[in-house]
Amino acid sequence: MTEKVLQKENWSSFVQALADARELWLPVKEGPLHKFVPYSSEQETPVDLEGYANSSVPPKEAVFPQTETMFRYQTGDQEICPPEAIKERVLLGVRPCDARAMDLVDHVFQWDEDDTYYLDRRKKTALLGLACHEPFPNCFCTSLEGSPGSTQGLDVLMVDLGESYYLRAVTDRGKKILQSVESSLEEASEQGKQAEEIIKKAEGKIGRKVEAEDVPEKLAQLWEDPLWDRISRACLGCGTCTYLCPTCHCFDIQDEVEGYEGRRCRMWDSCMFGEYTLHASGHNPRPSRRERTRNRINHKYHYFVRKFDKIACVGCGRCITSCPVNIDILDILSRVKEAL
Amino acid sequence: MVDQAVIREKAKEIVSREDVKHLVGWRKGTFGYRVSPHWVETPEDAEKLIFSPLCSPNLTTYLTLEEKLPLPKGEEPDRRKTALLVKGCDSRAAVQLLTEQGIEKEQVLILGVPCRGVIDQRKLEEKFPEALGGVEAEWDGDKIRLRFPEGEKEIAREELLAGNCLNCRYPNPVWAEEILGDEVEPWSDGKAPGVEELEKASPDDRWAFWEKEFSRCLRCYSCRNVCPMCYCEDCILDRLNPTWVYRSVNYSENTAFHIARAFHLVGRCVGCGECERVCPAGIPLGKLNQKMVEEVRDKYGFEAGTDPESLPFQASYDPQDQEDFIL
Amino acid sequence: MKNQGNPYIPHLATVEDTWYETYGDRAIKTFRVVFQEEEVKEAWEHKPGQCAMIGVLGVGESMISISSSPTEGNFLRFSVMRMGKVTQALHQLEPGDTMTVRGPYGNNFPLEEWKGKKILTIGGGIGQAPLRPIVEYVRANKSDYGDLTVLYGARTSNDLCFKNEFDELQKCQTVSSCHLSVDLEEEGWTHFVGFVPTMLMEVNPSPENTIAITCGPPIMIKFVLQNLKKLGFEDEQIYTTLENRMKCGIGKCGRCNAGPLYVCKDGPVFSYATLKEIPEAFA
Repeated sequence: MTEKVLQKENWSSFVQALADARELWLPVKEGPLHKFVPYSSEQETPVDLEGYANSSVPPKEAVFPQTETMFRYQTGDQEICPPEAIKERVLLGVRPCDARAMDLVDHVFQWDEDDTYYLDRRKKTALLGLACHEPFPNCFCTSLEGSPGSTQGLDVLMVDLGESYYLRAVTDRGKKILQSVESSLEEASEQGKQAEEIIKKAEGKIGRKVEAEDVPEKLAQLWEDPLWDRISRACLGCGTCTYLCPTCHCFDIQDEVEGYEGRRCRMWDSCMFGEYTLHASGHNPRPSRRERTRNRINHKYHYFVRKFDKIACVGCGRCITSCPVNIDILDILSRVKEAL
Repeated sequence: MVDQAVIREKAKEIVSREDVKHLVGWRKGTFGYRVSPHWVETPEDAEKLIFSPLCSPNLTTYLTLEEKLPLPKGEEPDRRKTALLVKGCDSRAAVQLLTEQGIEKEQVLILGVPCRGVIDQRKLEEKFPEALGGVEAEWDGDKIRLRFPEGEKEIAREELLAGNCLNCRYPNPVWAEEILGDEVEPWSDGKAPGVEELEKASPDDRWAFWEKEFSRCLRCYSCRNVCPMCYCEDCILDRLNPTWVYRSVNYSENTAFHIARAFHLVGRCVGCGECERVCPAGIPLGKLNQKMVEEVRDKYGFEAGTDPESLPFQASYDPQDQEDFIL
Repeated sequence: MKNQGNPYIPHLATVEDTWYETYGDRAIKTFRVVFQEEEVKEAWEHKPGQCAMIGVLGVGESMISISSSPTEGNFLRFSVMRMGKVTQALHQLEPGDTMTVRGPYGNNFPLEEWKGKKILTIGGGIGQAPLRPIVEYVRANKSDYGDLTVLYGARTSNDLCFKNEFDELQKCQTVSSCHLSVDLEEEGWTHFVGFVPTMLMEVNPSPENTIAITCGPPIMIKFVLQNLKKLGFEDEQIYTTLENRMKCGIGKCGRCNAGPLYVCKDGPVFSYATLKEIPEAFA
């Protein structure tokens, strides 16, 4: 097992060595928003891995960008030009819940047809994870098979030990990455045990919980229940919960043309938007927030389970924190469980 | 001052009336300092109502947010009133909706609560990170008292209030069936310091400022959806036939979206500050809309939502209107 | 059939012929298209019931059912109703113009399973378009199937699709019976007058060893289903096709689901037995 230690004073040379070999993405503060962006040494906004619980926008942006050109074309000649290839990259500071979320989304993008855009990016993106030692008030990953120190989906796991970081390679790719930056690292000895303790302590600090095993079955029986009216009343129908959710993957496809040149691109879409399922005839199978909220909760906790045997939620709590009207998924789940 | 017990009693009385469907107010949220909208249908529900400096949500938006779906055959539409708890700015939103005929007078029952300004959530988190673990707040003269599980803290109002509250001219509801509390003294002449700063900057600096802000926009449409004035069933900025603003997210399209929305709000924005509060990217939309509010006030002497008898600003013409700045 | 391994890049097809089936606001136009690349033309395979994403570069794509049977030849037929932005652009295509096509998507009518059974199709308006490939396939493989009965109706005789083909169908040997209807009395109309579900009861088909497939406006489907049950059809004997707004066509963009089923992948063909369990299916 490849285990290393990085003294915090060597942080810059570690980051620089990573950046030299491939495109490095780091969480950066833009205004009040933390998001993963490609790192450049001229970065004005300083990187602050210690000062945040989790990025506001999940790192899914690296493999599923908000807006992505699918291909360009000439409408005159009717010629299609496929997209350019992307480079190898590594994301530093990914929380374990977000890495697990990417594994969940993989199921959809590999179902029967391969979504080449997403899968190509996934293949070329390495994830250097950072275990959480101070979970956020709305985190509930432990209720959904997650943990502040889970290694699922990660190539390397880092744990903050105070004066240094402990690093453990999880995959072969992770091992190779650690080898490539060997000069800034030391061998680990007792740090492995220290890391385990910190992770265990963090698990104990998670305040919010839910027993989710029976939720999929219960949801199947609650289709016409009045609880959906009550839950969806305050909903504004904005896309915040879906955009900031690491397992949400819905997208729209649009054509943009200027003169004879154009591109077909895809961009994030939200099932909470009113016109998400609007037919050209004007008919909308989900005409109000009640149906859309019901669909979203069912998709995450029921349909995904029927299809792929997993709940499409990792308990990161972003939807709870960011909902402008405080619609709380744990509140919804407790109502679902009480309803029967 | 406003007594929460008074609000609860009044709410119980109102929802017991036959002609009232429900009352919308505020209640404590599920974590930290959050407050969520609360629908009171029975007198028991009313016990959860609160009113404090944390009650930012503008509940007027729910008057127009509720979808009017076709009813099954034989069913009559529910014509009972929706009762609403409003602060000063919220009441102006209700008045503006009235003048625009977005709502009918008989549809609503407005209960006003005088407000001394609500807390800016980002400022609260910055100054008091422990607020995420739970906090209650109340106004105390020119201070705000915060009650944490570990003890109480005090801070000057100006340091914690939301931007739009600092330059609020209408802390008392302007139109209500009943006002549940003592009126408060207005504290501002309406000039927003953030706007003045930008006005003094050069056009290049202003573009640079907004470029940085709009580049962060996620196009979640929270600002539009929370705004009580944005209630078009078919928003022109969503339209595909023709496509006015592309759905792809980049600085150019985002700017087009926000500027278009700001113009659609000219003479209609009541400065409730919700757009800025809900934005997950923290874009200072308040500055943009407040600039338009000030322009309309300075040049036309008009303020949205202050007079239920007034005509909508963009839809009326007064021969006395100034024209010297047009050409 | 992917283009360069990428499921989102469409193939280009040339419109060989196009004609209007109906006129007016929601006109229906039929296109016969042929792939521009020989290899795509040769390698293309589809089954009745499947759809394709067709569109125009610069405008977008729509999921339209392929209304030709693979037995008819190396071309594809689509019947498109003009409703929105993309269908408007499609309607402007003339012979020689290029259309983008990608697919085939979705499941198909289980015609293998239906061998030896009698086939009854019940269509209304544009709903006949996905049923047409069944009719053509069964006619081409007559010995594998029992009687073929075709019921089709529209609001007026001007709203009927495939009029020229129905004249032939009513006379040919491979169709046991073909019934047409219009909703209201019309001068010169000698066939049934009334709604399609009513015509169904008049024709009174026996449910024995029969598969009924229906497609049309939601209100028609509702009453056809009711009447089929009255006639004694079992849930497993009744099939229909669903539609929903689609963007990717391959089960990724998330929007076309009816309950746990994605219409683009688990459908569009569904038996009533499946749909009964899904409350959202008839929304």
